[in-house]
Amino acid sequence: MEIHRKRRRGSGIWPYLLLAPALIIMLSVVIVPIINAISMSFQSYNLTRPKKIGFIGLDNYAKLINDSLFWKSLLRTLIWVFFGVGCQFVFGFMLALLLNKSFKGRGVVRAVSLIPWVTPGVLIALMWSWMFDGNYGVINDVLLRLHIISDKVAFLAKPASAMPSVIITIVWQGIPFFALMILAGLQGIPGDLYEAADIDGATGLKKLFYVTIPSLRNTIFVTTMLRIIWVANSVDVIFNMTEGGPAYATQTLSVYVYKKASSLDMGYASAMAIMLMLVLLVAAIPYLHNTFRDQEG
Amino acid sequence: MCATMVSAALAEETTIKFWFWADNDAYAQTMQEMIADFNATNGKGITVVGEQYPWDGGGYSGNLLTAAIGGGGPDVATFKLTATPSFVGNDLLTPLDEYINNWEDKDQINENLYNTMRTAGGEDAIYVMPWNTQVLYVYYRPSMFEAAGVTVPTTYEEFLDVCAKLTRDTDGDGKTDVYGFGMRGSNGGQEPWGCFLYAGGGDWEHLDSEGGIKGMQDYIDLYTNGYAPETAPNDGFAQVIDNFKSGLTAMTIHHIGSSAQMMELFGDDVAAFVFPAGEGQWTSMGDTETVMFESCANKEAAFEWMAYLATGKGQETWCTVTGNVPVAARVQELEQFQSNPFMKVSIEGSPVAGILPVLDTTTEWISNWPSVIQQALLGQITAEECMKTLQETLWAE
Repeated sequence: MEIHRKRRRGSGIWPYLLLAPALIIMLSVVIVPIINAISMSFQSYNLTRPKKIGFIGLDNYAKLINDSLFWKSLLRTLIWVFFGVGCQFVFGFMLALLLNKSFKGRGVVRAVSLIPWVTPGVLIALMWSWMFDGNYGVINDVLLRLHIISDKVAFLAKPASAMPSVIITIVWQGIPFFALMILAGLQGIPGDLYEAADIDGATGLKKLFYVTIPSLRNTIFVTTMLRIIWVANSVDVIFNMTEGGPAYATQTLSVYVYKKASSLDMGYASAMAIMLMLVLLVAAIPYLHNTFRDQEG
Repeated sequence: MCATMVSAALAEETTIKFWFWADNDAYAQTMQEMIADFNATNGKGITVVGEQYPWDGGGYSGNLLTAAIGGGGPDVATFKLTATPSFVGNDLLTPLDEYINNWEDKDQINENLYNTMRTAGGEDAIYVMPWNTQVLYVYYRPSMFEAAGVTVPTTYEEFLDVCAKLTRDTDGDGKTDVYGFGMRGSNGGQEPWGCFLYAGGGDWEHLDSEGGIKGMQDYIDLYTNGYAPETAPNDGFAQVIDNFKSGLTAMTIHHIGSSAQMMELFGDDVAAFVFPAGEGQWTSMGDTETVMFESCANKEAAFEWMAYLATGKGQETWCTVTGNVPVAARVQELEQFQSNPFMKVSIEGSPVAGILPVLDTTTEWISNWPSVIQQALLGQITAEECMKTLQETLWAE
């Protein structure tokens, strides 16, 4: 009886001990910083004015609501995410379908196609900013030789072309992630389904829409949600290509937050970061809901 | 060197953690060699450990501040004067007056420079030790001047005229091949832009004055008239230097730090002049100093290292390699500095060289400057609106 009680006590503590390291790490690197950010968002917390640091209630949020730059940055974030993730998905899907076919050198192509994903964002930004350069860029050179343009275009110095340029860059970077995830999903689709579709006389397009895409529903959903969150939070590509310019044309919310934090206005930067988090939660909740629903099911 | 300040603490081995930034690998290597030399020769058991961090368009100052507040900062660091209020406001820096007053090399540095350092802290104390300066001037290509039939401008109006005349289609295809002026509309562009502000008749206290607006309008006109590359709003340091080096621009503004690579590339076909006077005259004094942190355990040892950099062998070595203007009189008089034509122009420009107002708004103002200027260059706001915004944000309460 005594032994049994000891075992029960032991097994009661043991799981918590095993969980403790993970919980401590989660608390210290996720929960505490979030609480700290929330707390700072209610303060005048500008490190260039340390003597004025203190609680100011909702002032940062009130200022934010009246800050036209905040709303414009939010709108640009939506454009950045919509086109950035949308194009990544389309091209990633196409690449995955291609890589799922048997052809000579497929292994090499699969490995090479991963290069954009494993290249650091800062390096990608530098590389593409030189490619888009209005004086020496290879893109201008190619377009001139093809007679598509008659004079060089300052892609990153003009508001109309700066945003498409940074979107192209993020699309290039993100295609392999979609391709990799979708490829893994494709390989999990039973061959019987396609055989049955063949017997029913389905065309290639019908097989795509009635077999492939429905079978990949969860993969597509999870991958898209993750990428929406990552792209919305992404700073490295835009900042290193345009610093949010010219004239705020590529300033997304995360870039605005970064610039505010860099100029040491931590209170206002935190308030904007909290707002960005709330916006992203709107996208993340369906993702979480879907994940837990599947687990419960 | 500061013998009277050396306490008994120096009898023991002391380590000084030193943060610095370097503009390129050669400068970083030079700094490590200077550190090795100091460690080998100071004879007081002081070991400096140098840690290099990127300048990152000014991000260095923010990183240094964050590290110091978080308790992970260095004992001594290289520094920019404009960052002083944030550090002094957070009680992070050690006042250096006592050390400087007891220092045998005190008079090697001009009293005006000490006064500038004193003003920057917002208190009647020196927190920042002079190290070296860089005075901005105009680089130009004599061969391009000759081809365009112009001479070095002596007034601001002549300068604007020369920008127009240097802009040329050299191969007759109807497209501009050489632009008169390499404009920096992105990060760091506020310093060369200050030359136009003053030449137009404005100043840092009155950015939205009639003269300030005129200077801004001239700046806009240079761009919209096509006398600067179309990429100018997005051009930062690397772009303006590359444009000049490639022959795309005939003039650009930078300091002596670029002279070695310019001379290596162009030989005699590169020269410099001080940005000419208009209604007023100003050029930027790019300053680099050192600071000592309050958290430093052995301040006497830290000051030994700072003194080595300011007036000792470190001063000569660093300024020789980087081409920066020395602050120590003894080093300024050395032949290698007296015979350098770019050093001569730097010294010529020194009387009108200054720094941006050191305010607690300066960091954010510098960060916002490109976006506001870009709006003006791209015609989204007028020169007047631009200067009003810049005035309100710099002098905000």
